[in-house]
Amino acid sequence: MKYFLRLGFVLLVITTVASGILAYINSLTEPIIKENQRKAKEEARMEVLPEAVSFDSISYLNEEVIYAGKNNEGKLAGYTFVASLYGYSSDVKTMVGVTPDFKVNKIKIIEQTETPGLGANCTKPEFQSLFEGKNETVMLVDKDGGEIVSITGATITTRTIANSIRTGLKFLRKIEVQSEPEEIHREEVTE
Amino acid sequence: MELLAKIFAMAIAAIFVQNFVLARFLGLCPYIGVSKKLDSALGMGMAVIFVMTMASTFTWLIQTYLLVPLKIEFLQTIAFILTIASLVQLVEMIIQKTAPALYKALGVFLPLITTNCAVLGVAILNINEEYTFIFAILNGLFAGLGFTLVLILMAGIRERLERAELPRTMRGMPIAMIVAGCMALAFLGFSGLKF
Amino acid sequence: MSVIKEFTKGIVKENPVFVMALGLCPVLAVSSSVENAIGMGAAATFVLVFSNIFISLIKGFIPRKIRIPSYIVVIASFVTIVDMVMEAYVPALHKNLGLFIPLIVVNCIILGRAEAFAGKNNLIRSILDGFGMGLGFTLALIVIASIREILGAGQFLGYNVLPATFKPMLVAILAPGAFLVMGLLMGLMNLKKK
Repeated sequence: MKYFLRLGFVLLVITTVASGILAYINSLTEPIIKENQRKAKEEARMEVLPEAVSFDSISYLNEEVIYAGKNNEGKLAGYTFVASLYGYSSDVKTMVGVTPDFKVNKIKIIEQTETPGLGANCTKPEFQSLFEGKNETVMLVDKDGGEIVSITGATITTRTIANSIRTGLKFLRKIEVQSEPEEIHREEVTE
Repeated sequence: MELLAKIFAMAIAAIFVQNFVLARFLGLCPYIGVSKKLDSALGMGMAVIFVMTMASTFTWLIQTYLLVPLKIEFLQTIAFILTIASLVQLVEMIIQKTAPALYKALGVFLPLITTNCAVLGVAILNINEEYTFIFAILNGLFAGLGFTLVLILMAGIRERLERAELPRTMRGMPIAMIVAGCMALAFLGFSGLKF
Repeated sequence: MSVIKEFTKGIVKENPVFVMALGLCPVLAVSSSVENAIGMGAAATFVLVFSNIFISLIKGFIPRKIRIPSYIVVIASFVTIVDMVMEAYVPALHKNLGLFIPLIVVNCIILGRAEAFAGKNNLIRSILDGFGMGLGFTLALIVIASIREILGAGQFLGYNVLPATFKPMLVAILAPGAFLVMGLLMGLMNLKKK
């Protein structure tokens, strides 16, 4: 009996010491981790909407804040939102910068684990620049009648990104102007 | 009905699309090590299904009712691995006492399961994916089933390979890896499948 | 002389991956790029060296009956430290390795060395053993990752190394490629042994 108590005691000591050390290290690293996450999003926002110097939250989409960015003269520089949809094998999240006239300014894929060499090519700058200057009427994959040229062998990933951005643009227009633009007469393409 | 569809989708995903061994690379040691004979593969598979389901249950409870309320999530790795290790011990003792026949079949495999990364893997994945209690248990069950499926398939192939004429250097482990590669290639066909 | 051997044996003669076929899961899972391979190797080496140090130091106080659980607690603590530090300072790499960082706990190489070596040998030898094994593990990872990255993406550490006319063999960086490359390398090692 005494022997077993000793066993328990030794294990208890080891575990307590280990937890203590971990708690200390956790208290050191946790703020850095939080700061990193905040910074990463902030940097993505700055990247897709470089003219903006300050951001105000205006709404929510995909559990992320939609921001309205102001330039250094205090005028509206555009919006940013996070587009998110399930692609071929993972959630694809895109930070989207939008101009005041609801065209895409720039996009940045911030999260994806699509197939390497195929879908994962969506992080390449050549692909991301395809979206610049497009509004929601042409924000469709070429196969669906839009202007976004699919990545070779990864139509599903491309379509996911285009669709998620289109949904976001529509939502943004709805909350900002509460009216549909005149040039939209294209039928919605079913996925 | 919708719940049933969700469960079905989860089963397909865990067994085929994101197979623990062939797509996620978890549990390779037993996959290569215990797949020489069909009956031992079956025994190992059953033991893994059992332990994975139990581990999913207990680690979820520990995470939700102990680690999160006390704000000590950073102890997750230690807590989970100790839970799994003691669970395996406990299961071993209970089976030995209550079902000697089952113990005879599974006994040798149980201690090996503690270091099977698929078990700890499924426990952590359940938390990362924010599954509810029921779905965490089901995920453990389905992941175990997926593991057992490929383990049995592999054992079937390797039993036949025994009699095949192979270059000396490729016998044993190397050819087992190549076979695993071919199976992974086949399972790649499931990727992108969703409901 | 024999002290140096404790260091070098892990690199070739008792290479944990190619010779002993231990710790295969992370080897196959993170070897799709050389960068991930180096990160994983460094993390595992850190855990190996420090758990070897600790276990070698405290081995006298631990009753035999509870040595495995005690070792697991020591290893799990160092794994958690690596996990937290990597998330704080190299978040991108941490995200790539993902699940496989906490899973270092169940890597058979580490518990295996603790049980077979550090629990029986003095501090200096344990440190050298840990370093050697860690280096062997890292080198094996880098070899596999180099083959997969060059064949599958035409790149090495993210830089293009093959002419543009080379069409990457995608399968090499997908899951099946990991198994195939590993199998062929193991066969090659057998050939050398004969």
